Amino acid sequence: MEAKPGAAPQPISLVLKEIVQEYPAPGGGITRVIDRISLEFDRPGINILLGPSGCGKSTLLNMMGGVRPPGLLAPTSGTILINGAECTDAHDDAVMVFQRYANRPDLTVYENVAFPFQLSLWKKKVAKTEWQRRVEDMLKAVGLADKKDLYPAQLSGGQNQRVALARALALRPALLLMDEPFGALDAQIREEMQQLLIDLYKAWPCLILFVTHDVTEALKLGDRVIVLSTQPATVADDFIIAEPRPRSSTWQRSTEAVRLEERILAQLHQVSAGRGAVRVSI
Amino acid sequence: MSLWNPYASLTSGQRRKLGVAAILIVLAIWSTLSGFGLVGPVKLPTPWAVVQAMGYLAWNGETSLLLTATLWSTGRVVAAGILVVLVGVPVGILMGAAPKINAFLSPLIDPFRSAPIVALLPILVMWLGIGETMKIAFLFIGAVVYLIPMVRDAVQAVPQSYWISARDLGATHWEGITKAIVPMAMPRIADAIIVGISMMWTYITVAEYVNAREGLGQLIQNARRFSAMDQVFAGIIVIIALALVTYQLMLRLKKKLYPWETSL
Ligand SMILES: Nc1ncnc2c1ncn2[C@@H]1O[C@H](COP(=O)(O)OP(=O)(O)OP(=O)(O)O)[C@@H](O)[C@H]1O
Ligand SMILES: [Mg+2]
Repeated sequence: MEAKPGAAPQPISLVLKEIVQEYPAPGGGITRVIDRISLEFDRPGINILLGPSGCGKSTLLNMMGGVRPPGLLAPTSGTILINGAECTDAHDDAVMVFQRYANRPDLTVYENVAFPFQLSLWKKKVAKTEWQRRVEDMLKAVGLADKKDLYPAQLSGGQNQRVALARALALRPALLLMDEPFGALDAQIREEMQQLLIDLYKAWPCLILFVTHDVTEALKLGDRVIVLSTQPATVADDFIIAEPRPRSSTWQRSTEAVRLEERILAQLHQVSAGRGAVRVSI
Repeated sequence: MSLWNPYASLTSGQRRKLGVAAILIVLAIWSTLSGFGLVGPVKLPTPWAVVQAMGYLAWNGETSLLLTATLWSTGRVVAAGILVVLVGVPVGILMGAAPKINAFLSPLIDPFRSAPIVALLPILVMWLGIGETMKIAFLFIGAVVYLIPMVRDAVQAVPQSYWISARDLGATHWEGITKAIVPMAMPRIADAIIVGISMMWTYITVAEYVNAREGLGQLIQNARRFSAMDQVFAGIIVIIALALVTYQLMLRLKKKLYPWETSL
């Protein structure tokens, strides 16, 4: 996807105010999973939500995407504002990418990327010639142009996630919510996908919230890293990484990077006291 | 290679050999029992007698009783089958798509799955008479009470992630059903249709016992009245063969329509 003059993400602001999430506990009573998290995002960038497994990252991200657990109030209290308006349902400007790729097995790669444009919402917004061009462009951008007639089952895990990325970005979203999108991939493919995300972001610099429990991934991708504690989740740390991407392996071994990594790990050890698992991949 | 391995794959040659062997064993036992007079011909005709009866029914010098009967029965199954699909699939989809509709309709439909449908026959005769309407209605009810719950279950079995993802991408609730859930449920809905139609072949004889004038059920019923056991057997074998062919054809059509299904 080439950045075209005139085609740039709408500016967007995302505000989380005092978000609390409680779930009924197995033995009766309630468990507070998220405790008064307040965050503000008002400029494009890759924002990492980092935290141990089970701390509530998906819960938080799903809320922003308008995905609610069945039969539960989410959030229990607090508000999410997108461009100043309270967000209670799937939002047109927000698109999610899940860890388990949500590609449709009954549709080809092309049809998967084109799927949203078959819905009344996007039919109204985007003319056919326009979306066809976008789908072709995105398939090229993620390197699947020659695989567009295959079914997801005929693709590898990494390629499937490329389809998911292409579908999300073909909608030209202002807000991209990614829940451990590369978590199921092995190390080498994960690195390829991280590079792809960097390239895609450069062409379409929108507001990205990227959930991971991989410290290395956070340092490689994040403009801003938000470290969450666990049980309940609170914001344990929140800092900016100014180093431009792609971040060389020299930088990744630099004192700055090592210090950031130690800072994150210390934070996680302190707050989780060995409860969650944080992966460090080299 | 151990016998006990549910995942062992057989070559189609092996499968065919074992299948043919089973049929040959049954034929051998049958021939022995009937051929040596261990069971009287009134109770069990010889295989050869059944073949002859089949030949007679296929062409008795003037007409083909078998062809006429088969056409009538097939016609009834097709007519009832179309109705069952036209009613059962939409109703099942609505029930699967909306828990409230399901809660409302399932007490009216689910109990019939364990009810003796055959017991409804006298009631249907009373209401609808003994003509075609009654026969089609009987086949329809017999199959639709199975089809509807199966279609509903097929819809409910679609993983929620597809719904969530479609909604996130901007689908309205209704589009979530029509553009994500139903397409994903189609292979299992097709399975349900196949079972439903196959089931009608088991009901057809019952439907045709009443006021039997045409059809395979009538053919069997008449033969039984005249103690022509060879013709009874011939009729039953034809019904089994028709059911089998219908089943295989529908299965093939399904595989062709939903080639992606095996990859789930
Ligand atoms: N519907 C629910 N009902 C009850 N508890 C829930 C529900 N959904 C999540 N939880 C609990 O909330 C906590 C946070 O879950 P969540 O999936 O948000 O964690 P996560 O940080 O995304 O973990 P992971 O890294 O493993 O994906 C977990 O302890 C989980 O058991
Ligand atoms: Mg998660």
